[in-house]
Amino acid sequence: MTPIIRAIDLVKRYPLPDDKSRTFAAVDGVSFEIFEREIYGILGPNGAGKTTTLEMLEGLNDIDGGSAFVDGIDVAKDPYSVKKIIGVQLQESEYFDKLNLIELLDLFGALYRRDIDAMELLGKVHLTEKAKARPANLSGGQKQRFSIACALVNAPKILFLDEPTTGLDPQAKRRLWDLVTELNDAGMTIVLTTHNMEEAEFLCGRIAIMDHGRLVAEDTPQSLIMKHAPEPPEAPLHGNIEDVFLALTGHALRD
Amino acid sequence: MLSKLQRHLAKDFMKIFLRDRQSIFFSLFFPVVFMSIFAFIRGGGQEPIPLGVVNQSDSAAAERLVEMLQGDFAFTVITGAEDELREQLIAGEQMLVLVLPADFSDPGTADGKAAGLRLLADTSQFNQLPLVEPMLEQKLMAIEREFRGEEAMFSIEVENVQALSQNYLDFLLPGLLGMMLMQLSVAGSGYNVVEFRRKGILKRLFVTPLMPRDFIAAIVVARLGIVLIQLTVLLAFALFVLDVRIIGNFAEFYLVGIIASLVFLNIGFCIGSVAKTQQAIMAIGNIVIFPQIVLSGVFYPIDAMPGFVQPLAQVLPLTFVVSGLRDIAVSGETLVQIVPSLIGMAVWFVIGFALATRMFVWKEVAA
Repeated sequence: MTPIIRAIDLVKRYPLPDDKSRTFAAVDGVSFEIFEREIYGILGPNGAGKTTTLEMLEGLNDIDGGSAFVDGIDVAKDPYSVKKIIGVQLQESEYFDKLNLIELLDLFGALYRRDIDAMELLGKVHLTEKAKARPANLSGGQKQRFSIACALVNAPKILFLDEPTTGLDPQAKRRLWDLVTELNDAGMTIVLTTHNMEEAEFLCGRIAIMDHGRLVAEDTPQSLIMKHAPEPPEAPLHGNIEDVFLALTGHALRD
Repeated sequence: MLSKLQRHLAKDFMKIFLRDRQSIFFSLFFPVVFMSIFAFIRGGGQEPIPLGVVNQSDSAAAERLVEMLQGDFAFTVITGAEDELREQLIAGEQMLVLVLPADFSDPGTADGKAAGLRLLADTSQFNQLPLVEPMLEQKLMAIEREFRGEEAMFSIEVENVQALSQNYLDFLLPGLLGMMLMQLSVAGSGYNVVEFRRKGILKRLFVTPLMPRDFIAAIVVARLGIVLIQLTVLLAFALFVLDVRIIGNFAEFYLVGIIASLVFLNIGFCIGSVAKTQQAIMAIGNIVIFPQIVLSGVFYPIDAMPGFVQPLAQVLPLTFVVSGLRDIAVSGETLVQIVPSLIGMAVWFVIGFALATRMFVWKEVAA
């Protein structure tokens, strides 16, 4: 099976905030492969480089080192072709607040040069009754679902979700998981970042854990638990992905 | 000319701008208030002063004085008997009554005794007394000279004040419209872009295969549409409510307006590229806008400014715009005659466009 996404030794450097002449690597040589129809989760503490990695794959951010291929297209060479076949939900993105949901979806359709059925898309994310509402009047969960509707206007091959459930209540979170599962069942490859270990365990076929711009582990949730979960004396293996996460990235507070 | 995508985007931007009622209101409100204030200050206020005159003398000089007062546009003269006018004055119907006593005689023929005039006034009501007194005195001196056969040493020609103030409004209108075009256009591109960037809207748009040129074209077209509507509203107000005149060709006036908008939209994009925050764009915007309002001949001709700032004033973008608009509106010139102003605008357009496309960091929309 050939991977639909290949990241090879990706590097992104930013100038240091307190000394502009020096740089630090926000993403420091990250390689992974994602296969078609997979749900692939990237986990990591704040500042680990998850979002930056996604942005390089999406053609939103320059790639300073290494290379990325999405559906066989070199992202650095042809970001526009990549953008045509991916759908992206950004962390906390806002929309033109003077347009209603239907108008916004039609706008996004136009950006992909597609005629879309906005109501059908809203139906998919259970927002039909909010068709004439402005984004500012949506709840957190509704906003996230609307973001996903916007990401679906071009019927993408790959859907990128950046912390899709952060800040949602359990009901909204569950609903979003169902939506992601549905889309995946329909054949969509999904790449998501999250802080929520339960989410990673529930949704993802494979998980990559990032820290300090590097990939520190990558496997199925079960294998990761087998490999890294702390082993209590005289007891069968227990633990969850959160234990794995903390074992790999340490207990020190970030931010 | 525009692609389907550009039309769709432009239409949406139009909606976004038009639904922003508050900024639409203020963008019209201030120029209207501005023009109205100038219209009132310079145009109104100079109503003729009502003046009651009681002529108790039968001398030729008294007759002549009344005649001269009646011929003066500064006064509306009402003649009558003293008792009657005095009553009206007390009742508040008159403000000022001049009494020429019976012993008011022709200068030179009398025994040298000065004739005493009485001015009846309700000083609590009438605050223009200090103004009227010298005017009356002037009249009396003129009559004295006439009767003594003396030549006046000085003469003052007073031009019609009403006409002069109207000319100022005519002069002011193109300046104000130019200024408004500048503010709307700079705000319309620069402020919007910074706002879109701050909210992450730009980033979201550019995750799609949207090309920067389509985005820019759409925003420019939408802004032009809005600016033209606003221009029309203000022009209509000036023409029909304030009676301002535009002598030249309207189509050409609008054309210069469109070019001006394009120039300032570009400058706005430049500012939007430099400024990272809303405060920064306010500061930079003010640095760009305010000196031009003062220096570009919006309110008074550039010739009236100190010599050392004139070379700078002459090359500001708004100067070219205002002088182009003014030459058409006030002097009735044609596009051919205002070619120097058009060249000035073209140069600024090229500078602005080059800077905007160079400085606008598209990758940075992501950061």
